[in-house]
Amino acid sequence: MPIKILSVDDSRTIRLIVGRSLRPYDCILCEAANGEEGLAVAVREKPDIILLDVTMPVMDGVTMLTKLKEDPELKAIPVIMLTAESGRDNVIHIARLGVRDYLVKPFKEDQLIDKVGRVVALKKKETAAPAAASVPI
Amino acid sequence: MNVQTPSLDIRHYINGHLVDVFQTMLSMKATPVADGQPPTFSERVTGSVGFGGNTVTGAVYLHLSAEFANRITAGMLGLPPDEAIGETDINDVIGECTNMLAGGLKSALCDKGHDCAVSTPAIIRGTSFVIESPQDVQHELLVFNHDGSGFAVEVHIKFNQTN
Repeated sequence: MPIKILSVDDSRTIRLIVGRSLRPYDCILCEAANGEEGLAVAVREKPDIILLDVTMPVMDGVTMLTKLKEDPELKAIPVIMLTAESGRDNVIHIARLGVRDYLVKPFKEDQLIDKVGRVVALKKKETAAPAAASVPI
Repeated sequence: MNVQTPSLDIRHYINGHLVDVFQTMLSMKATPVADGQPPTFSERVTGSVGFGGNTVTGAVYLHLSAEFANRITAGMLGLPPDEAIGETDINDVIGECTNMLAGGLKSALCDKGHDCAVSTPAIIRGTSFVIESPQDVQHELLVFNHDGSGFAVEVHIKFNQTN
């Protein structure tokens, strides 16, 4: 069964990079552009993991994470924060909120896969079997 | 009262961080140009992200030519470098690059005791404009080059003494 991953980021670029990184793996990617949309998608899709940006309009990542942890149906979903802010206090702050891990932007795609792979079992998609060779009668 | 933080060299920090952002996200080698003249653009795209807290306020601006902004966007989205790309995608990529620059600076400031928050990015486009700030605001302009394309980062920052 494919892993269901929710990417919450106001930047379409980052969501696209996340999708591109995960393309070789057997997973379903859901997307949301802010925390409010992210909560709605989380309720509907029950993802296996959430990749969550911090600074977003409408509802930021910290608020979404707080609401997620208050919801008995959603609080067990592991969250990896994607943040452009690597400061010591910021890291301590988001760690206290109960995130599984965090990834600082800028990041390489293999760093993202490494972090996600430590939380959920990512499996490479099976490649299609080669077409049968034609055999002369 | 304006207070400097000698422990944070903003020029040194931004020089290193921009090179890292370009290398990591775009696989592009950006080179700081020491004492470089600000590049001139016939059409400019500028990303801006503000930051603010009790002891510090300011903004980071990333200035690029429209052609180079298109090239960076193509690189980030995995498209051919000369592909014409819509403004929405360019705005998003340049906004995200500026966000990474400002987020890094914010973190460095927080580590020096200047707690602050960053805004979401905004994009300015035009053929001729300058960004002005009051006289008591520290102003840093850093010039870079990639493969013959000049671009610049501008930082406006003010430290406030709290009582």
